[in-house]
Amino acid sequence: MLLNNLLNLVLYTFVDTLNPPDTATESAAFWTWMGDDGICRTRAKTDAEISVDDAIANSAAVTSFFTGKKYPLMVDARNVRSIDKNARKHFSINGRETKITSFAIMVKSPLSRVIGNFFMGLNKPTVPARLFDDEALAIKWLKTFL
Amino acid sequence: MNDETSERVKEILEVVMSYARLDFTKKTGITGSHDMLDAISSGVNMLGEELETSIISLKEKEKLLKEIHHRVKNNLQIVSSLLRLQSEKVLDKKYLDLVMVSQNRITSMALVHEMLYSTQSLGRIEMKEYIERLTQSVYQSFFKPGLSVEFKYDIDRQLFFDIDHLVPIGLILNEIISNSFKYAFPDNKGRISVSLHRSDQTFNLNVNDNGKGLPESFDVERDGHLGLQLIHMLSEQLNGTVEINRKNGVSYNIIFIQP
Repeated sequence: MLLNNLLNLVLYTFVDTLNPPDTATESAAFWTWMGDDGICRTRAKTDAEISVDDAIANSAAVTSFFTGKKYPLMVDARNVRSIDKNARKHFSINGRETKITSFAIMVKSPLSRVIGNFFMGLNKPTVPARLFDDEALAIKWLKTFL
Repeated sequence: MNDETSERVKEILEVVMSYARLDFTKKTGITGSHDMLDAISSGVNMLGEELETSIISLKEKEKLLKEIHHRVKNNLQIVSSLLRLQSEKVLDKKYLDLVMVSQNRITSMALVHEMLYSTQSLGRIEMKEYIERLTQSVYQSFFKPGLSVEFKYDIDRQLFFDIDHLVPIGLILNEIISNSFKYAFPDNKGRISVSLHRSDQTFNLNVNDNGKGLPESFDVERDGHLGLQLIHMLSEQLNGTVEINRKNGVSYNIIFIQP
């Protein structure tokens, strides 16, 4: 039990699965790819100012991995500068078809925390969603939706 | 606080103040330094966007509500006009009286909707204006050459009621005043007084005329017609009580609790 906990601690401390591989789909504001663990990942570019067009392009990229089974999504919002109202509305999935089972939003700076909290509080996503500042914990949570 | 920080704080404050004036055209700049001020700026910008959306949605709902009140009023007027058209070739006085009573009841409700869509405050109406307009409307419906009835009002200012209370109060007033016009003034002259006062949690509505009064033998329970039944039923709807006084004409005293 103790060994298992130590192993998890070591594993989680050094987890970094949010570097986009060469095969990642690149759009104006995001890189998006499917991880080997079955979790889709999308990473906002540094100082991205996300508009609704960026949000729609991102959803298309995320949906492109669908082959019949829905999957969880990890969103790296640590470098986002802003997300406009319509983009937030689009990301909330309210009233539109989605291929994801859940999503985790990675936040770090005060700015990304404010954006994340706004999104969760006011836009109320229609699939399970949570904010994380620890990547390993986010992956652990997302795996419950695989 | 250095000059740059001070400038950024000032900019955020200016945007907050413009949002307070409901001007949502401004946004605070985000430097990309990911510091606390960037976080506050981002929060202010997003709050402004959400507030703007809420205000637009609220204005749309208000517009819709006004439209509904307008349509209800128009529909009630159509019903009233249909009644009038249907009675145009009728000579039976009893039937014509019934039509007029029904039209007045409809008008008292239509007036509530008319005033609700034409006032700034959609949900409530000031009672003084409503009572004065309603009583004049009833007077017009009974008007005939030689009729001279004076209205006296003693109504507290700034008493606002919502539609749930306005409709029964309007119908009650319509019944009482119609009764006065029908029975109280055989010589076509008289006075009707209407008062409405607030005392703590209760309201006291008093309507009295200086007419000939009810006959000694008149028993409200036994001889009361639909109008009197309505007054009692509507008072109950207001959680109120009715007291009828026969001294110096007829006086109705209705006490009901605060809406």
